[in-house]
Amino acid sequence: MIITEEITRSNRGVFDAVVFANKRIRQRFYRLGLEFSGDGAEAFAKARPGQFAEIDLSGVKLPPMKEVAEDLQDAAERKVLLRRPFSFCEVSSQFTHRSVNEGGRGKTRVEILYCALGPATLRMTTLSAGNSVSVMGPLGNGFRMPADKKMALLVSGGMGAGPLIHLAKTITAECPKVEVTAFVGAKTKTEMPFEKPLDEISRQLGFALHEFARYAVESQLATDDGSIGHKGFVTDCFSQWLGQQRSLSAKDTIIYSCGPEAMLARIAKIAEDKKIDCQVSMERMMACGIGVCQSCAIKCKVEGSNETIYKLCCKDGPVFDGREVVF
Amino acid sequence: MTNCMNETMDISIDFSRLKLANPVFTASGTCGYADELADFTNVNRLGGFITKSVTAKPRQGNDTPRVVETDSGMLNAIGLANIGLEAFIQEKLPLIGKLTTSVFVNVAGETIDDYVAVVQRLATEQAIAGFELNISCPNVAKGGLSFGTDPAQVAEITSAVKKAAGEKVLMVKLSPCVTDISVIARAAVEAGADALSLVNTFTAMVIDIETRKPVLSNRTGGLSGPAIKPIAVYMVNKVYNEVAKERGIPILGLGGIRTASDAIEFIIAGASAVAIGTANFIEPGCTVKIIEGIKKYCAHKEIKNIRELIGSLV
Repeated sequence: MIITEEITRSNRGVFDAVVFANKRIRQRFYRLGLEFSGDGAEAFAKARPGQFAEIDLSGVKLPPMKEVAEDLQDAAERKVLLRRPFSFCEVSSQFTHRSVNEGGRGKTRVEILYCALGPATLRMTTLSAGNSVSVMGPLGNGFRMPADKKMALLVSGGMGAGPLIHLAKTITAECPKVEVTAFVGAKTKTEMPFEKPLDEISRQLGFALHEFARYAVESQLATDDGSIGHKGFVTDCFSQWLGQQRSLSAKDTIIYSCGPEAMLARIAKIAEDKKIDCQVSMERMMACGIGVCQSCAIKCKVEGSNETIYKLCCKDGPVFDGREVVF
Repeated sequence: MTNCMNETMDISIDFSRLKLANPVFTASGTCGYADELADFTNVNRLGGFITKSVTAKPRQGNDTPRVVETDSGMLNAIGLANIGLEAFIQEKLPLIGKLTTSVFVNVAGETIDDYVAVVQRLATEQAIAGFELNISCPNVAKGGLSFGTDPAQVAEITSAVKKAAGEKVLMVKLSPCVTDISVIARAAVEAGADALSLVNTFTAMVIDIETRKPVLSNRTGGLSGPAIKPIAVYMVNKVYNEVAKERGIPILGLGGIRTASDAIEFIIAGASAVAIGTANFIEPGCTVKIIEGIKKYCAHKEIKNIRELIGSLV
């Protein structure tokens, strides 16, 4: 019997997670699966879309040098000291009523999309089922749910798709009346963090990607070179689509975005022009992830003045209101 | 049996006028004002806690990037971003007052008056055991490191702050970016410093070879982490031998400590206590492990009082 039980333990902490999968999706893109038990399972069961975890990869072995792409060999020589932040593309929990003494309360599985492009993520590729890693989290503030909206528009670039998949699942589960549509951008067909886009017919029906279609969420794909989906930036594809929506009500709509900062800036501008609420997930180099090192500053506007202040990506974000960030 | 010994093992130390439960502190700027750490570690297990720098007025800090990782270390150029004295008193001090560990407030400023203003205002606060005078921040345009590299200025600022500090313990944090750190240490002690903490970070640079620009927006930053540990151990030993030992001035040793054996190296070199900095970012609970590790070492080596270990370098 599997039932969700009320969770009252700590909200976050440092936990050991066991790898249950680490699959190469294509090229440099991978999907890592981590399983938590005990307190970790309880803490991560509450992980919200847009939140993140800091993973210690310093002790993970490198792939053999001959398997490392030439342009990453310098990076592979670097050591890793600090944890690395990752958001989640999938969180699922199973809890039972068994007591702790009877062998654990449940399990939470967290999946992470990542791209091997530096010393830490190269190490990450060698993790295999059964390996253990230290994970700190869940951290930061995720996307706020569109409870008072009728339509949620998700716009991602590159690896930014990860947390928006998690968001699509969560909105469809928690706000079933909200219509969700995703716009997914990548540089090229091969630089997409997805296993395989759906066939031409599905794409024409508005379901380009299985990762969103599984939650009955429509998705459109754009690549810079047009190797699949619309040719050009996802922001142009999105803007064009938005322009065609004659009956769209700005106040009943919200835009969620995650991806490169230039893309977020463009999305925030489109949203502002159309007077649509917008939340953007930001990224900064960070050391601690919990607001003590003050590294990950994001310049933000102060409402009702021309002044700016720094907020912290890890603690005040990573999700910010699109209107508040100074890009 | 060993575990039992660990539990009861006394590693308390005298640190100037303070009696501390153990010799492990957290370093300034790596643990905020303690409230941020509540979910990750028990701050009350620490011998001492040092706050993020407090300046008279709030400071926004530098543009990003403010940090970059290097092999075995990291550079930071935060620029003393902090909430300022008034917000510290209103928002943080009540929580700090509830801690049972000894709390030092790290104080920074652009002028001597800035430092004095902060110290004077906090000198009567029960919640605070002492001050750490930050005259060695490498990441600000005015004040900071410029105070800490000239012995005459070190003496002037230390004696001005000492007058304002009242009964509180005054610790001066030294920069390693000097020709002879003992000269600076002597200037601080002769001007009234009750304790010394060393070392702050080393001024350093990382360059992006694609753009040929420094990675940090501040261009340079302070190097911390395991990379600096052997230099810090050497400097602690030098200051212990040349300045601190004969005058009975305790040293808080820091620089790249992340294990109990790292901490013990500093103590053997002459530190009465140690502070953990960068390692908190990786493992916020590491200080508790280090305290346990020191107890284990003392039990194993049959050291009855940790004072036997301080400066015991052969």
